[in-house]
Amino acid sequence: MTAQIIAVAIFVVMFALIVSEKIERQWVSLGCGLLMLIVVFGICMQDMEAVYETLNLKAFITGDFWYERGAGENASTGINWSTIVFIYGMMIMVEGMGVSGFFRWLCLRIAKAVKYRAVPILITFMVISFVLAMFIDSITVILFLVSVTVELAGLLGFSPIPVILAEVFCANLGGAATMCGDPPNIIIGTSLGYTFADYVLNTGLLAVISLIFTVMYFYFCFRKELATSTNTEVSKKYPEPVSAIKERGRFAISCIIFASAVILLVTHAITGLTVASIGVLIAVATILTSGKEAVKFIKKADYKTLSFFVGLFIVVGGLEKTGVLNLIADLIEGISGNDPKLMVAIILWLSAIASAFVDNIPFAATMIPVIKALAASSGVDLSVLAWTLAMGTDIGGSATPIGASANVVGISIASKNGHMIGWGKYCKYLAPATVMVILISMIGIFLRYF
Amino acid sequence: MENQIIIALGREFGSGGHEAGQKLADRYGIKFLDHYLLQTIADEKCIDIDLLKKYDEKPKNRILSRTVSGYSNALEEHVANFQFDYIRKIADEGESFVVIGRCAEHILRGNPALISVFVLGNMDEKCKRIMDKYNLSHDEALRLMKRKDATRKSYHNYYCSGKWGDSRNYDLCINSSNLGVDGVVDIIELLVKRELSSREALL
Repeated sequence: MTAQIIAVAIFVVMFALIVSEKIERQWVSLGCGLLMLIVVFGICMQDMEAVYETLNLKAFITGDFWYERGAGENASTGINWSTIVFIYGMMIMVEGMGVSGFFRWLCLRIAKAVKYRAVPILITFMVISFVLAMFIDSITVILFLVSVTVELAGLLGFSPIPVILAEVFCANLGGAATMCGDPPNIIIGTSLGYTFADYVLNTGLLAVISLIFTVMYFYFCFRKELATSTNTEVSKKYPEPVSAIKERGRFAISCIIFASAVILLVTHAITGLTVASIGVLIAVATILTSGKEAVKFIKKADYKTLSFFVGLFIVVGGLEKTGVLNLIADLIEGISGNDPKLMVAIILWLSAIASAFVDNIPFAATMIPVIKALAASSGVDLSVLAWTLAMGTDIGGSATPIGASANVVGISIASKNGHMIGWGKYCKYLAPATVMVILISMIGIFLRYF
Repeated sequence: MENQIIIALGREFGSGGHEAGQKLADRYGIKFLDHYLLQTIADEKCIDIDLLKKYDEKPKNRILSRTVSGYSNALEEHVANFQFDYIRKIADEGESFVVIGRCAEHILRGNPALISVFVLGNMDEKCKRIMDKYNLSHDEALRLMKRKDATRKSYHNYYCSGKWGDSRNYDLCINSSNLGVDGVVDIIELLVKRELSSREALL
């Protein structure tokens, strides 16, 4: 009981400190993780085995961590090293792609293809935001898309805010479609043993259906505002897509590495390569082909986020080992009265509402042991609860400006360029869109799995 | 550049610091940067001035904002940074000006033309000035003063390493209740004269 109380207290303090931003979040999670190891496992439980299991260092020396023929990732508790290694690899690959000018080239190419017209730009940029976010972290996608959007809006004479809002929403939606699109999905997938294909066939399908409705929604919201685009006669000023490519060789290599990463991810259930192996492969490929810039790419990887994950997994491991998460699972089961549909609805809406206000990564990491316990005790298929959790956490974050990283980055870049997006303007359009997609997801899950 | 003067004037609400700053700017015939500096930013960036005013000199709301990899959704932070950038830019261009608040003593630290002053006042005098200026009762004036000072302090301490009103962060701290606004202006003028003559002596 004491261990449970202390574990919950550490978790609550960690969340409060992350929200307050007084201390950088990686120090908060690492500090709280250390407290969990020493106080909860060491002093209260006196269980060294729990410490080893939570640190999970043995994962690196198991063959399944790198290669697993015919099955998904190893389900394990504690630090999810697969997630960390994969995200690290993606960070290095994305650094290489950014330097080569790939993202800017793609955006300008599309803008040119639609003849620099505002409404088609809105629609195509939503789709490209969705597609890119399926494979690349949403922060990078938004960073490049929003910058190009602001530039094009300035040239074409329309307000970029509608397009930015739509891009942010679609980046979060695209992230929900695949295993590597959003950190909660990677954590859920690697913790519960699901593959890339599993995601595409489940959350992917829901995300694509939602995208169709989302495009229609934003079209009807913004078509009049964008139709008043003022400038149609300055075509000479439009930046040529080719101008974005800084070095042709580097650009070609980046495209090849990105295409290889996508192929490896799509086929990883067939090849047996785990996401950790894929992360290492793409990082090594980027480093080997980057020459002098390799060191810069390694240095620029976001080690703060990776450290944050390490601490977070330890804290969540503490909640799991002390049985706190089982209590939450029992509570949800009690409320739902063992009705699978009600259980799904609770998880979906709870995840969505929580993710709208707090970081969805800690939330998802905390909920994984909860849905495992729920599936075991209620008999509901674990995969259904996993897809529900993934959709709730990924989409819920779109509802408010602070719900997801892409929202914060998009608003920040827009505001720096003089296009201020406050809570009112943001929520007016994106909160209803979020509710719409959560409803679509709920109906989709009910129709398909029950 | 050798005659450039930048007077960064921090102030307690009701201390008359703003009025003193305006008088100094008039005496020297230099720019006066208070909240009207927002108009310049609004014109430059084509932003609605009312939107900028709404977030001017306000601390960011920690519950409603989040920072990711150095990017923040807090509009208070963006408005503050617009102003900091503008102040730095005109300081680098060699312009002389008086700037009210906006963490100027911190963001221009190291600039040889900078003279930083903090104007404070006794509670009663500040209250009286607020009551006269805004036509408020004593209690209303007191509440307004407390609220405004708390906001300024929180705003300042978020962006600056030194604390708001801490005498170690300023060249001079003056109590306007003892000297009156004109007295404050005279003292600062004296400081400016000494500063300019010491610069001349160095040349």
